Amino acid sequence: MLVKQRLLLVIPVIIFAAFACDARAFAQPSDKYDFNRDIRPILSGKCFACHGPDGAARQADLRLDKSLHALESGAIIAGQSGQSELIKRITSADPDLRMPPQGEALSAAEISKLSAWIDDGAVYETHWSFSPPVKSRRPDVNQPAWPTSEIDYFILNRLEQSALKPSPKAPPAILLRRLYLDLIGLPPSVKDVKVFEADPTPTKFAAIVDQLLASNRFGEKWAAGWLDLARYADSNGYQHDDMRTMWPYRDWVINALNDDMPFDQFTIEQLAGDLLPNPTDQQLVATGFHRNVPVNFSGGAKVEEVRANVLHDRVATTGTVWLGLTLECAQCHDHKFDAISQEEYYQLYAYFNKAIPEFIQKSDNMFKKLFVGREVIVYQSAADRNQAELLINELAKHDKQVATTEQQKGRELILLDFEGPAPVATNNISHPAITSSVEDAPEEGGDTAARTVIKPAESDPGFFGTGYSFDECDLSGMTTISFWLKTDIQSSFNFQIHNSDKSVSAFGFSTANTKPDAWTKFTAPLDAFSKPPWASEEVDWSAVTRIQLTAYGNGPYGGKYIMLDNVVGQQTTEHDERNQRIAGLRDELNALRTATMVMQDAELPVPTHIMIRGDYTTPGKPVVPGVLSALHPIDNLSETNRLGLARWLTSADNPLLARVTVNRLWGEIFGKGIVSTPGDFGMQGNAPTHPQLLDWLAVDFVEQGWSIKQLIRTMVLSSTYQQTSVADETLLQLDPTNDLYGRGPRFRLTAELVRDNLLAASGLLANKLGGPVVYPEQPDGLWMEILSVMDVTEYPTSMGSDRHRRGIYTVWRRGNPYPSMINFDAPERAVCTTRRGRSNTPLQALTLLNDPVYVEMATHFASMIWRWDGNDREKIIRAFRTVVARKPSDEEIKVLLELRRKRGSWYSVAQVLLNLDEAITKS
Amino acid sequence: MTLTPVTKLKRREFLRKGTLGIGSLALSQLINQDVRAEGLHHKPRAKNVIFLHMVGGPSQMDTFDPKPALDKWDGQSLPDELTRGQNFAFITPQARVIKSPYGFKPRGDSGVVMSELFPQLATVADELTVIRSMRTDEINHGSGELFFHTGHGRIGRPSFGAWTAYGLGTENTDLPAYIVLKDGPTAAGTSVWSNGFLSSRHQGVEFRKGRQPIHFLDSPGFTSREERHDVIDAITKLNTKSLERYQDPEIATRIAQYELAFRMQKSVPELVDIDREPQHIQKMYGLQPSEQGGGTQFARNCLLARRLIEKGVRFVQVFAGGWDHHAAIYNALPRSAAMVDQPCAALITDLKQRGMLDDTLVIWGGEFGRTPMIQEHNAGNGEKTAPGRDHHKECFSIWMAGGGVKGGFTYGATDEFGFGVTESEVHVHDFHATCLHLLGMNHERLIHRHQGRDYRLTDVHGHVVHDIIS
Repeated sequence: MLVKQRLLLVIPVIIFAAFACDARAFAQPSDKYDFNRDIRPILSGKCFACHGPDGAARQADLRLDKSLHALESGAIIAGQSGQSELIKRITSADPDLRMPPQGEALSAAEISKLSAWIDDGAVYETHWSFSPPVKSRRPDVNQPAWPTSEIDYFILNRLEQSALKPSPKAPPAILLRRLYLDLIGLPPSVKDVKVFEADPTPTKFAAIVDQLLASNRFGEKWAAGWLDLARYADSNGYQHDDMRTMWPYRDWVINALNDDMPFDQFTIEQLAGDLLPNPTDQQLVATGFHRNVPVNFSGGAKVEEVRANVLHDRVATTGTVWLGLTLECAQCHDHKFDAISQEEYYQLYAYFNKAIPEFIQKSDNMFKKLFVGREVIVYQSAADRNQAELLINELAKHDKQVATTEQQKGRELILLDFEGPAPVATNNISHPAITSSVEDAPEEGGDTAARTVIKPAESDPGFFGTGYSFDECDLSGMTTISFWLKTDIQSSFNFQIHNSDKSVSAFGFSTANTKPDAWTKFTAPLDAFSKPPWASEEVDWSAVTRIQLTAYGNGPYGGKYIMLDNVVGQQTTEHDERNQRIAGLRDELNALRTATMVMQDAELPVPTHIMIRGDYTTPGKPVVPGVLSALHPIDNLSETNRLGLARWLTSADNPLLARVTVNRLWGEIFGKGIVSTPGDFGMQGNAPTHPQLLDWLAVDFVEQGWSIKQLIRTMVLSSTYQQTSVADETLLQLDPTNDLYGRGPRFRLTAELVRDNLLAASGLLANKLGGPVVYPEQPDGLWMEILSVMDVTEYPTSMGSDRHRRGIYTVWRRGNPYPSMINFDAPERAVCTTRRGRSNTPLQALTLLNDPVYVEMATHFASMIWRWDGNDREKIIRAFRTVVARKPSDEEIKVLLELRRKRGSWYSVAQVLLNLDEAITKS
Repeated sequence: MTLTPVTKLKRREFLRKGTLGIGSLALSQLINQDVRAEGLHHKPRAKNVIFLHMVGGPSQMDTFDPKPALDKWDGQSLPDELTRGQNFAFITPQARVIKSPYGFKPRGDSGVVMSELFPQLATVADELTVIRSMRTDEINHGSGELFFHTGHGRIGRPSFGAWTAYGLGTENTDLPAYIVLKDGPTAAGTSVWSNGFLSSRHQGVEFRKGRQPIHFLDSPGFTSREERHDVIDAITKLNTKSLERYQDPEIATRIAQYELAFRMQKSVPELVDIDREPQHIQKMYGLQPSEQGGGTQFARNCLLARRLIEKGVRFVQVFAGGWDHHAAIYNALPRSAAMVDQPCAALITDLKQRGMLDDTLVIWGGEFGRTPMIQEHNAGNGEKTAPGRDHHKECFSIWMAGGGVKGGFTYGATDEFGFGVTESEVHVHDFHATCLHLLGMNHERLIHRHQGRDYRLTDVHGHVVHDIIS
């Protein structure tokens, strides 16, 4: 290491400053390399880890990410690659000198590009994604009849440069199914297909596009990808994986997409809806975006630690979703590749650190931590909301009357006040005892009370009772009976009401938590009395003759005492009745309302410090909210809270937001992004395959008012989109992964869409939009394997049509997610996910063949086929088209007819169709 | 059955295209190419892993790290400078020390010291490397398990097993590379064997107890094997038409996966049927005679782990519950130890007698250790309990056997209290680096780029502990 440093230091640095000044003079457009495409990735990948933005990790005080530094140090001598230390070191034969010190050496091609770049003047261009996008001139093409959209000129131009031709248009049935899957995530009916086949014109196609974009199914399809970004789930994750109610947020996303809410507004409402002036309930619900973070409520987890982890997640997720940058790298140190300092990271953190504490430790002794943050009330439907409004109005009327009418005192019936002669008591229930009047009475009582002192018994049966008789009383109009008790027995008690020894009702209570030797008033509602097992019938409340007090369970009782006074029955009043009615209305109202978590900032937020090495226990320098200096400046007048941050992100000057967003949507339709690293537009991310197209789409997206539907419309109306996905030999040879889009997209459906499509094809799909999560059948006992404080171990399998809802409504419990969707690469939703895998496994085959949910689909589909009119061949054609839209070939029909004949049932045929590769693939 | 799809694709193209969305390392799994002979990065010492995780965290002072000084300190608080600033899950730094009631002595020819709780394991002491100087960053079960398996305390990262499957693939394409067996829940659920951002083909597949070890393995009762054959045959024929039409290698893979699924429906139930093992083997693991209860689920899982490794499964993860001894440790710990003692010893003996121990790395340990101090109140309701020990991250003991580690060797040391490491610390990152090294992988080169960042099992840490390698 010492040797390397010394070598660099001896290089004279002064001379080259002159070159640095007019380096542009050397700059020639070169077809040998493109700085952003070729040079920066080499420098970033091989050099920046030690010679990049991270000051702490920097070696030999050399940085190669900044032109000035690189040139001043002499590592790069503009125009003279042979003299540049950089080239000497990467080509050195001496392993002690050769750079990079670890890992693969640079390839000859990389070295040659770097040399050419240095010879041309070593001009550093701004990282492509940090410069604002511009709509470039429409590229020239040789096949002007092919393009139907602006997109096509960019695609065709690249194809022609590679001497490739676009593929023909897909057959109408295939194209229509592709369109349905992309726009609403469900297959077209056979009738829809036939109608389009009869008139497969661009006009008709455009009309269908508009019709599908207007469908409510659109939001259900497109929400899933956003929910991956929002790491939406219905439980906390970690050791105490309790359930939480976040589905109103999921519905907000579906509705916002259906309403085509402009993406800038979509952003602002989710990041800062609570900070908007007079936010609506829905704007509050939108902020559930950042309440979706998994939260570790383990017994020993410290609240500050949990909070720091939640806030780090919010910063990282915000960076990934709205900037396409990996901010988390700067949590512990300056970013090694992108110009994001650790201080800037914590300036962003400071925006989120303004939030109120969202959870607390309930007590030192308790495992349980609680969410205490803000919640908002939502309703499942407009009808529920109307019903709730009626209830609220009715409640208001009652409340008003309760307030205006003077509270009537209810009639009281004194049963026993012990003010007369010594009480008549029956004390021989278990032990002998003496009952007498004493002058120690409670404040509400008169002068005297009854005291029973228990004598020791030879054998203690574990209970003691004493009874008091009185003249027959009618208690049927009473609502409660109250009494005063003082005793040194701390145990369970029964307060019994008798007609005779056989007709008894009892009210159970305990003195375990009351103060011994002190008068305590107990009030027993009449409906809390019930017949004890040993009595033959319930008491007749209209003819009560005796009460009895029985203590049990904490003997021996010898020497202990019971004192009783003022046994009084209270009659119901109009006031009480009204209160009862109010309570009933409130219960009814609560059943209609759902509380969901939303964001809220504190009035006095805690200060933010840099965390040394990312550790919340070692605060460093204090910081205030601020944004990344490598990007556009923030408007000084904007709010210094999340709303200001959201406005900065959605600013017209942000070079990243529109690019990142259109790239993600492009990827969902075409199978991969124009930038194939949708979560990283930084220097380590991949360069766009079609940079001018990406920029055109980004600028157009903003010009069209951030309309997602308009953007998707533009994509699907292009000739590029409508090509067949059948690859010809040349394309297979020259572009096997379809990077140049010379054929249509073909890839497996997502987990949700596999379910949705097979449900739809088999005729079982339930169409209800939104609402609480549903619980389709899953293997027994999975929730027994999840630990949680609230101990939800039973999976409440849905009944009726809720068993057949779209996948997006299936409950998402992080500790043990729905297995048949996990088998199709549904993420755990533990962290923000920009791209799902598309694995291809035997577990997927087993799921579609044997999961009872899919067996039910095949059974139902078979019964449909059986009921259809027509011969076997006609039925097979119709069934085939129901699943994959296109007509089967004669050979395909033959395979299915043979199976039908051999097995003698439609079940096997139905099952084969639902298991076809084509059934779960967009072709 | 038609097994070979007709395709115009050349093999090379198939391989290139067949890895869409999959790390190129996983090629080995697709094509069963033998990249293991020379190792992925260097010659491996182990080909397979059996990782026995004692869920809850065993007490190091009562098992493999004798601390006679605790007898002297019993009932007193530890020196303040030791506990200052330390986080404990439930107790305070001032909690009193409690001694271990168990006798320790050297075992085997090598004299590896272990407590009387493991009389059977003592018979294979000469096969073990005991590491007394393990250290982790987490003091809660969920995050501790995640850290021990994924190198990160929060959910979302690939586990050690998934990284191994990613790097080495499987030698039996009829079975998953990475299989999970357990006798009760883990604290962090399925996240502990997650594929994280790697392809979901690398996730641990749980083999559940009972007749249907994999979800959806069994055909519905009304479907005969013959009918299933006919259905898959028809699927294959129709998918082959699609393959001819689209030339998409994903279709070829799907055809192969349906055929594999069909074979698994027969082979997996046979594989997990440990009654097929001879009586003397079942007896060795404590599964016979059956009148004594037929052995524990853990014992069955150990025997099954051996059967799976024998069939070419790369990584078997076994979870054994019941090691979270907050209360009444001296009633519960002997039971927990007795539950695993014989099966662990049997597993090592069995692997050895079959010549499999050299290739198989066996790991035993928990997500953290336990405090030398007493816990005497229930963490939930504060009620007084019989003595227990709280979670402890500063040091804990594990052992390893086979797969290139030394036999009869004890590594690292802790202070007189068993509170902190004094010698040769093995942080969890170092443990992972060492295990990957034994498997022929360089932990600094086993990398996956995800959302713009290069990820490793060891993050930016980890050193191979060469001292424990034979």
